[in-house]
Amino acid sequence: MAAVEAETNHERGKLGFSLDVPFPSSLEASIALRSLSPDKEPRRGGISKQLSVSGSTLSVRWSADEARILRVSVNSFLVHLSLVIETMDMFGPAVSQ
Amino acid sequence: MTVVIGFEGSANKIGIGIIRDGEVLSNPRRTYITPPGQGFMPSDTARHHRAVILTVLKEALEQAGLKPADIDCVAYTKGPGMGAPLVTVALVARTVAQLWGKPLLGVNHCIGHIEMGRLITQANNPTVLYVSGGNTQVIAYSERRYRIFGETIDIAVGNCLDRFARVIKISNDPSPGYNIEQMAKKGSQYVELPYTVKGMDVSFSGILSYIEEVAHKMLSSGQCAAEDLCFSLQETLFSMLVEITERAMAHCGSQEVLIVGGVGCNLRLQEMMGVMCKERGAKLFATDERFCIDNGAMIAQAGWEMFRSGQVTELEDSWITQRYRTDEVEVTWRD
Repeated sequence: MAAVEAETNHERGKLGFSLDVPFPSSLEASIALRSLSPDKEPRRGGISKQLSVSGSTLSVRWSADEARILRVSVNSFLVHLSLVIETMDMFGPAVSQ
Repeated sequence: MTVVIGFEGSANKIGIGIIRDGEVLSNPRRTYITPPGQGFMPSDTARHHRAVILTVLKEALEQAGLKPADIDCVAYTKGPGMGAPLVTVALVARTVAQLWGKPLLGVNHCIGHIEMGRLITQANNPTVLYVSGGNTQVIAYSERRYRIFGETIDIAVGNCLDRFARVIKISNDPSPGYNIEQMAKKGSQYVELPYTVKGMDVSFSGILSYIEEVAHKMLSSGQCAAEDLCFSLQETLFSMLVEITERAMAHCGSQEVLIVGGVGCNLRLQEMMGVMCKERGAKLFATDERFCIDNGAMIAQAGWEMFRSGQVTELEDSWITQRYRTDEVEVTWRD
């Protein structure tokens, strides 16, 4: 019950932001997801971020209290994403496992 | 044979090194150097690391003459350090580990320094003085932990030196500490500064405040030269470090001292520690700037030890952490 309540509060009156990133294949999208997921948003930062992969698309959904905090988070995510893609371009493709 | 590649970028150096069973195959590094009077800020440092990290990685592989397939494990600095630069390096390490299908290993930066020092000097069970821009600790091994016997209660010794360099606009190229060391050789007059050893711990922030306060007055009135201040600051700081190291040795009954960390390549510190060691019949071990200063091989070496003892870090547990004490790590590779 508490989880449902928290989820409802979470959405109400919050800023939302969605981003879809296409990758050549689902393998690359999953690698990017696992590279970008481990570092959590700062606690008590008034922001949350959900990453998921569907097919070859990496999707990110933000929910934030303030535009200022949202901008910082989205900006740093895009910077990190660029570095991951650059790394894949230079040191890929992934070996078959 | 076990080959480990190590990624380091917790402060203003970005380094990637490859180690094969104790042999350093490559260890390229770049330093983010700021203008005189300025320190390095996290976001600018991260930008520097992002701009060069893939080039450095290419160099590391080329110089070692290895292909990704030859590597057994990808080690990276988990912490402690500055958040933004740590994340930059971790992102690349995670990505290549997945591309190449290799296990990942998060390494404590301080443990990297200790294990690299032990590898290079072959010191067996030393009392370790770890001195850098971000850390100041006296460490000894006991019961599967590197235990901290004494440490700074405020800023690191290297931070004190760096910030003094900014006050009198000493160049940060190649490092503020190196330039202070060169200037100190020409100092002749000793300016008395506070001396703050508190039991096994040391404090540097009061010394910094004091010298910040008096430096410009003394220099403009001609009471002393900048070289004299460099000399006096080094003598004071290093005496404090030698004192707490000696006390830790007496406590542990240790006959070996190993100096690691960026400040550890200061030859005056090594000389002062050497005098103390000689008086006690102990042996001093130190390395030069290739391995004292942050580098990738040290992370590879600690990673090699950890990997060989069966450790790996799952991707979901590979988050970086700005605070990560030396004694948090269980040393699974030593008796």
